[in-house]
Amino acid sequence: MNKFSKLRDQDLAPASPSRRAFIIGAASSGFMMAFARASVLLPSTSPSSVIAGQRYEPNLWVHIDVDGSITVNIIRAEMGQHVGTSLARILADELEADWSAVRIRHVDTDPKWGTMVTGGSWSVWQSFPVLSQAGAAGRIALIEEGARLLGVPASACIARNSVVSAGARSITYAQIVQRGNLTRSYSADELAKLPIKPPAERRLVGVDTQAIDIPDKTDGKAIYGIDAQVEGMLFGRPKIPPTRNGSRVVSVDDSAAKAVKGYLRSIVLDDPSNTVPGWVVVLADSTVAAFRAAERVKVTWQNDDTASVSEQDVLDHGLKLIKDPKAGSLVVDDAGVDEAFAKPASMLQQSYTTASVLHFQLEPLNALAFEKDGVWEIHTGNQWQSLILPTLVKALGVSEDKVVMRTYLLGGGFGRRLNGDYTVPAALAAKALGKPVKLMFTRADDVRFDSFRSPSVQRVSMAFDGNGKVIAMQHDATAGWPTLVMAAALMPKGKNGQPYDPFAISGADHWYNVGAHRVRAIPNDLANRAFRPGWLRSVGPGWTNWALESFMDEAAHKLGVDPLQFRLSLLDGSGANAGSSPNAVGGAHRQAAVLKRAAELGGWGGTLPADTGLGIATTFGQERDMPTWVACVARVRVDRGKGLVQVEKLVLVVDAGTIVHPDGALAQMEGAALWGVSMALHEGTEFQKGQVRDTNLDSYTPLRMADVPELQVEFMPSTEASVGLGEPATTVVAPAIGNAVFAAVGARVRHIPIRPEAVLEALKKPA
Amino acid sequence: MFKRIVLVVLTLIVLAVAGLFALAYRRAIPPVTPPVASAFAPDLVARGEILAGAGYCATCHTAKGGQPYAGGYAMVTPFGTIYSTNITPDPATGIGNWSEEAFRRAMHDGVSRDGSHLFPAFPYQHFNQVTDDDIKALYAFFMTRAPVNAPARQPDIPFPLNLRALQAGWKLLFFRDNAYGPISGKSPEWDRGAYLAEGIAHCSACHSPRNALGAEDTGSSRYGGAVVDSWYAPPLNASNPAPIAWNVDELYSYLHNGGTALHGVAAGSMSQVIHQGLSKLPDADVHAIAVYMADRMGHGDQGAAPDAALAKVMTAATQSSLPQTAPGAAIYAAACASCHYNRGPTPLLVRPELGLNSALTGTDPSTLIQVILHGINADEGLPGLMMPGFAHSFSDAQVAELANWLRQNRTDQAPWPDLEKKVAELRKPSPPDTSK
Amino acid sequence: MSQFQLNGRPVTVDLDDDTPLLWVIRDTLKLTGTKFGCGIGMCGACTVHLNGRAIRSCITPVGAIAGQSITTIEGLDPNGRHPLQKAWIAAQAPQCGYCQSGQIMQAASLLKDFPNPSDADINAVMGGSLCRCMAYVRIRKAIKLAAADLQGATVHE
Ligand code: FES
Ligand code: FES
Repeated sequence: MNKFSKLRDQDLAPASPSRRAFIIGAASSGFMMAFARASVLLPSTSPSSVIAGQRYEPNLWVHIDVDGSITVNIIRAEMGQHVGTSLARILADELEADWSAVRIRHVDTDPKWGTMVTGGSWSVWQSFPVLSQAGAAGRIALIEEGARLLGVPASACIARNSVVSAGARSITYAQIVQRGNLTRSYSADELAKLPIKPPAERRLVGVDTQAIDIPDKTDGKAIYGIDAQVEGMLFGRPKIPPTRNGSRVVSVDDSAAKAVKGYLRSIVLDDPSNTVPGWVVVLADSTVAAFRAAERVKVTWQNDDTASVSEQDVLDHGLKLIKDPKAGSLVVDDAGVDEAFAKPASMLQQSYTTASVLHFQLEPLNALAFEKDGVWEIHTGNQWQSLILPTLVKALGVSEDKVVMRTYLLGGGFGRRLNGDYTVPAALAAKALGKPVKLMFTRADDVRFDSFRSPSVQRVSMAFDGNGKVIAMQHDATAGWPTLVMAAALMPKGKNGQPYDPFAISGADHWYNVGAHRVRAIPNDLANRAFRPGWLRSVGPGWTNWALESFMDEAAHKLGVDPLQFRLSLLDGSGANAGSSPNAVGGAHRQAAVLKRAAELGGWGGTLPADTGLGIATTFGQERDMPTWVACVARVRVDRGKGLVQVEKLVLVVDAGTIVHPDGALAQMEGAALWGVSMALHEGTEFQKGQVRDTNLDSYTPLRMADVPELQVEFMPSTEASVGLGEPATTVVAPAIGNAVFAAVGARVRHIPIRPEAVLEALKKPA
Repeated sequence: MFKRIVLVVLTLIVLAVAGLFALAYRRAIPPVTPPVASAFAPDLVARGEILAGAGYCATCHTAKGGQPYAGGYAMVTPFGTIYSTNITPDPATGIGNWSEEAFRRAMHDGVSRDGSHLFPAFPYQHFNQVTDDDIKALYAFFMTRAPVNAPARQPDIPFPLNLRALQAGWKLLFFRDNAYGPISGKSPEWDRGAYLAEGIAHCSACHSPRNALGAEDTGSSRYGGAVVDSWYAPPLNASNPAPIAWNVDELYSYLHNGGTALHGVAAGSMSQVIHQGLSKLPDADVHAIAVYMADRMGHGDQGAAPDAALAKVMTAATQSSLPQTAPGAAIYAAACASCHYNRGPTPLLVRPELGLNSALTGTDPSTLIQVILHGINADEGLPGLMMPGFAHSFSDAQVAELANWLRQNRTDQAPWPDLEKKVAELRKPSPPDTSK
Repeated sequence: MSQFQLNGRPVTVDLDDDTPLLWVIRDTLKLTGTKFGCGIGMCGACTVHLNGRAIRSCITPVGAIAGQSITTIEGLDPNGRHPLQKAWIAAQAPQCGYCQSGQIMQAASLLKDFPNPSDADINAVMGGSLCRCMAYVRIRKAIKLAAADLQGATVHE
C-alpha cells in the first residue's frame, strides 16, 4: 500500500529484481567485488576494466587484499546502530570469510554508490538480499579458483573461515588472491540463481559479536564531524534568524563584537538555494571567539508573519483542516466508510495531539567546508548525502562533480542529519571568504535551527454495529510534512490523487480488520511555512501510533472488553491483512503473536498494587511493506497527588525476522524504547512566536539514567526477511504508558508528553 | 519668631561642625626617610608576615589582579564604594615615609599619618587590641616589601559622608578601646585564640551585623551573622544555623583545610581568609582560634557530631533525589548531583553535602547564589577541588528555583523571600553568554 | 597565560583566563576525545578530570585550574585499557559514542567515591551525563562490570 518506491528504488529495493551485474576483478593489491551499472555490457567488458574505470555502482564494493584482509565499503552513516558491523556480517557470512580479517570503511560521496541515505530503519532490510548474493558470488568464485589452484574439482571443495579445502588439502583466500585470477562476472539472472545458504548454515548472521566501531568510542579516538579540521580554517557561528523561512537581514551591527579577541567579520549569506534565508555568519579565529562575538553582533531582521505563529496556532489550524472533509490525501479509502458512519449503532470519536519534539542529537550541528583543487569538500556527519548534494551544488553554483561530502561519525542522527541544511551555510561562508570555514553551532543555535518533529492533531473514529462489532474506522491526521518540504518529488499519491508524505501518516494504515477503513493525511500548511518539519526517529508512527493505540484502548473500554482481547480479535490475519512474501509473511498473525507474548511476559491480567496499572500497545513498525512487529506492556505507578507518572517496567516483544547482529539489535530496541519513554513523559517543547521555547538542557529534559525503567526485551525467533529495528520500539511506548495510566488511576490522557498537570486534570474528569 | 529659630538652629549647626572639626583634629606625624630593609631583624619580619596573614591584609589591600598590598581593592558599603590604600613602602603613594609611631597610630586609632581619619572599613577598632610588639613586627614586615607606586583612589561616597572629619564623630559614637574584650580569663590557648580572633584576625568585622552607621553590633547580637560584600557570613554565636553544631575539631579542620565533610567548604572571602590568611599562622594558633570560637558558639567541648542531626540531613538528601515534578529538582539532578550526591550515613569531604552547609541553612541566600553563579576555583575552598559557576547556564529564575527547592527539601528553614531579585543583583556583569 | 598539567604533561597556553577549558583542550591542544554537547554543564559530554575528579570542562574557565592536573579520555589509561574502558567494550555500551568519553570519565569519578555503587549511586552521579542514544542500560551494566573488576584487582594487589 504505502510505496516509498521513488525513494527506495533508487537503491536496491530487495523486492524488485536487481538488474545489475556483479563483477569480480583485479584492483590494486588484490581483488574487488562490486555491482556494475546496468549500462555496462557483460561479459563483453572485462570486470577489471569496469573497476579501473570506476563504472561499478551502488552501495557495494568489497576489496580482498593479498594479505587476506577483506574491506567492506559502507555507504550508510554510522550513528550508533553499528551498521557497518551488521552489513559486513551479512556479506562475510555468505563469503565464508574469516571475520577477524574483515574491515569496514565508511565512504565519501561518489555517484558510483548510488543513493546515500541512512534512515527509516532500512539499512539491514534493504541490504540483506543484495549482500547475501554478493557474498555467495564471491564464495563461489573463490571456491572455483581455489579448486583450480589445488587441482581438484570445485564440487569437492568447501569454504570456511577464508580457507577453501578439499579433504586434507587447502588454500587460503589470501593465497588465492595472490596466485589466482579471480576475474568473474555474473549477470543479474545468474546472480539471482546463486545458492544462498539456508539459515541453519549461517555462521555469522544471528551470532553475537562485538561491534567494530565500539573500541574507538571508548578512548577518544573516534572522529566525528565536530572533530574535522584543516589547516588555516576559520570558525563561524551563525546568527539564527527569528523565523526559519521568512527572515531577511536589514542590517548588521558588529561594533560590540570588535572587542572580542579573534573576531574577524560577519557576513550576510547570499544563498541561491534559499536554504538559509536571513543568515549571518560570524567569523573568528577560534570556536570561543566565534561564539562570543556572535553574542555581540546585532542583526536587524525583517520577518514575515510566521514570527507570530505559536504551537497552539498550529494545533488549531490542524483541527480546522481535519474538519474540512475535502482536505488532504486519502491513503486508505475503502468503500462503505461514509455509509457505516452515517447511522452506526454506536460510535466513538476522539482527538489526540502531540507536542513539538527536538532531535537534540548530542553532537551539535557543524560542518567544515573548503575548496581544494577545484572541488568543494564538505566535512561533516550526514544521513542523506544524496538529498543535500544537489542543494549544495545550487548554493555554490558549481557542477555536480565539484562537490564531495567527506564522511564522519555522527554524534547522533535520529533523523536530524537526514536534512543536510546545515552544510549549506558553511559552504556559502567558505565561498564568500575564499578560506576554509568550520561552522559551529552552539547548542541553542542547533536547537533553534532544528527541523523538529511537528506538533500533530489527529481524530480517530470508529463505528460499531448492534453487537459491538467494529464496522468502520477513520483516522485523520495532520502535521507538518517533512517530505513535502524537503523532498516533495518523492511523495506517492493517495487514492484521491493527492500526494502525501508517508513519513507523516504511516502507522495509521494498520493491520487490524476494522471493516471499512479510511486514512486521511492532511499537510498542516501553517506548520510547513512557520518552521521546517523534520523526520525524527520513528517519524509518523511516533504520533499515528499514539492516537491509534490509545484509541484502541478507549474503544475496548467503551465496549467493555479486555484491550488485549479486543486487539487480538481485530488482528485476525484475514483479507488484506493476511500478509505477503517476502517481507510481510504471516501478516497480522505475527502482530497477534508478539502481542500475546508481551501480555504473557508482562503479567497481563494479574493483580497489581494500588495506583499501579498495565497498559498494552502494538505496532508494525515504520511501514506496512516492511513490518517489524512489536508489542509493549508498560507498568506504571501514578502519584495521584502530584500527577507524577513513573514507569516501572517495560516489556517489549519484537519480531523483526532474521536478526543479523543480536546484541546490536537489542541495543537498538533499548534505545528506541527509552526514546519512547522520553517522548511520552520527559520531552516535548512548544513552538512560540516563530521559535522553539526550550533551547538547552536547563529546560529541555530528555530521559536520564534515573528515569530508566526495568526493561525486558524478547525477540521472536524467526528466519523470515530481516526488517528494520532502529525505530519501531519507539512508537509503542507512549500509548502503552498512556493506557497504563488509565488502568492505574482511570485518567485518560490524549496528549504527549504526558505532564503531571494533565494527569491531575484528567483525574478530575469521569473516566 | 521663626527667624529666631532658624538662627538658633544655624548657630547650633555651625557650632556642631566647628566642634566636630576641633574634635577631629589630629596632628600630622612628620614623614621619615624610608628605613632600609636591613634595619629590621629577619625574625621580626617573619613574625610580621604571619600576623599580616592573620589579618588578611593582602585580601583588602590588593586590587583584583593588582600588586600585593598596593591597594585599590573596591569595597562596596551601604554608603558607597571605598578603595583600600597602598601599604607598600612607596614614599609617594604608600607608607614609605611613615614612622613606626604613625603606623601604630593608624592601627590603634584609625588615623593616617597626615592626621586625617580613616574610614572604619579599616578595622582599627580590632587592631586596637594588637600589642605594640606585634605592631612592631607588622611594621617591619610592611616596610620590607617591594615599594609599588600606586596612587590612592578616591572613595565614591557622596557628600557629606565623604568628609573625613565626620569619621571623628563616628569614632566618638562607636569607638572604644578594647571594645571586644575581655580576651583573657580561660585557658592560655583560649586567651591566645581570643587575642587573635578579636584583634588582628578581626572575625567579627564580617560576622557581626552593623548598625545604620556601619558600626558592629555589640552585646548579644554581636557575631550574629551579616552579609558582607554580597557574601553571607554566618553567625558565630549560638544562633549559627549549621545542623551539626561546630566543635573545636570541626572548626580547626575548617580553618585549616578550607572545609569539612560535616560543614562544607569555604567560599568567597572566607576562602581567602583561610588560604591567604590563616594558612600563614602556626597550626597552634589556628587551633587556638578554633578553641575560642567553639566556646563562643557554645559548643566548646562538644564531642563527635550528633548522629541524629546528620541522619536527618542525609535522609532529606536521599528523599530529594527521588523523582519529582519541581523544575528545581530537575536542574539539581542534571547539574549538581553528580558532585554533591552522597550515600549515607556520612558524606564525603569531596562531595559537599548541601544540607549541612550554612550557605543553605542560613538566613541569607547570598553565598549559595554566589557559588551557584560563579563557582569556586581550584585554589579556593578545598584546594584542588573546584566547582564551576553556572552563571551562563541558568536564568535568574532557574537559579532561584534551584535555591528555593534546595531550601525546601534539604532544610527545615523558612523559604527565602525575593530570590530571583537577589540572583539578578549578584549576577555581576560577565563575558557574554556562549551557550544561548 | 595559563599553565597546567594535561595528561601528565605540563602545558602552557596563551589565552584569556575565562576561556572554557573544553575549547582549550579541543581547539588549542587538539585533543578531540572530549566532546561539546550543551555548553552549560548539563550533558556531561565534556567531562574531564581535575586532580582525578570529574568536572565539566565547558563551564570551567582555564584560569580557574591554573597549576592543576587535568586528565582527558586520552589520558585515562596509556593504552586505552582502563577497567572502565574494557567494561565498556564488554558491555557494548556505546551507540553513537558521542557521550561516552564523558560517561567514562564521570564513571571513573563515581567508582573512586563509591567503589561498589548501588543503582541509586549510579542514578545520581551519572544523572548529569546525558546519553541521547539512551544507552543507559549498558552504561549501568558496564559500570558494575568495572566495579567488580576493580575490586577484584584490589584484592589481588
Ligand atoms: S558540554 Fe559540558 S556539560 Fe554539556
Ligand atoms: S552513545 Fe550516543 S549519546 Fe550516548
